[in-house]
Amino acid sequence: MKISQKIINNLKSGGADFFLSVPCKLLANMITILENDKDIYYSAIPREEEGMGICAGAYLGNKLPCIMMQNTGIGNSVNSIVSLLQLYQMPVVFLISYRGTPGEPVGAQGGMASVTEDILNTLRIPMLQCNTEKDLDKISTFTNHAKVIESPVAILCNFNLMKDD
Amino acid sequence: MNRFELLNLLQNTIQDELVICNIGLPSQELYKINDRPNYFYMLGSMGLASSIGLGLSLAVDKKIISIDGDGSVLMNMNTLATIGNRAPANYTLLIIDNGSYGSTGDQKTFTNERTSLKDVAIGSGCQNVIECSGEETNENLQKALVDTNNSYVIISKIKSGNVPIKPIPLNAVTIRDRFRKEIGLVNYL
Repeated sequence: MKISQKIINNLKSGGADFFLSVPCKLLANMITILENDKDIYYSAIPREEEGMGICAGAYLGNKLPCIMMQNTGIGNSVNSIVSLLQLYQMPVVFLISYRGTPGEPVGAQGGMASVTEDILNTLRIPMLQCNTEKDLDKISTFTNHAKVIESPVAILCNFNLMKDD
Repeated sequence: MNRFELLNLLQNTIQDELVICNIGLPSQELYKINDRPNYFYMLGSMGLASSIGLGLSLAVDKKIISIDGDGSVLMNMNTLATIGNRAPANYTLLIIDNGSYGSTGDQKTFTNERTSLKDVAIGSGCQNVIECSGEETNENLQKALVDTNNSYVIISKIKSGNVPIKPIPLNAVTIRDRFRKEIGLVNYL
């Protein structure tokens, strides 16, 4: 819970005030925290691509949205990232549980893990890799950076960082 | 009645509500009929006009209208469940159901066969789901816009068919900024 609380605190101090998630067991603690947070909007949603649309609308209404998802969700969302968020220059923070990184017990997650960073690089989305608790200190500035550059940014939290939280 | 005629008719009802309009011909026709800064033309991301409007309605108090199509709703049908569970009272989804993918050459959609978007919307938990003819759309939209306590999903059944039209000459960031200015968020225009 300590890591999850720190991530949420840093997202909020960076300005994020509108949260969506497509669940992941590594995000479960963050989801519990958000469900009990009266200062922000939070909802679960069925699919990440839809979430990109909801985030776009929330941004138009002056929110700084954050969508929490597995890295597989990036695969579900490529067109909506390029043809909506980037086309209209909309800041959205992607908080990604990076499944398939070392420690991962499910072999099937390895495939998307092996292409996730290449996809984000191809989309020219700035990335923050969080491998240790100290890396989490950068989340606040990075979240605000999305607003400054009017662009989606991606925060990747790897498996071993999250698994015992 | 086709979509162009319906969009024309709606101009008497839509005032300062914030409108998110579907990709392709719906946006192009709306632009040609009556371009306004409170119209957000979605130039890419087919399927997401309903979702964008939902996100906006969760962020601001003004009335929001998402103008979507049957083909686009079929592409992003899960968002009807999100609307059914999360749409606030300032949200109205208007689905113009002409049974075809108009922008790509009027290929038929499944609403021409066995699929009922009304039943899907109701089954998804949406409140105040109204299916009507094009001619009845205005009165139903007026009802939705004066109701401050409920969200609506209006499915307007019309004929397929399009008018010859050009792409919208505005760039995306211009559409974004003049739209946000309508909400009071841009002071440099």
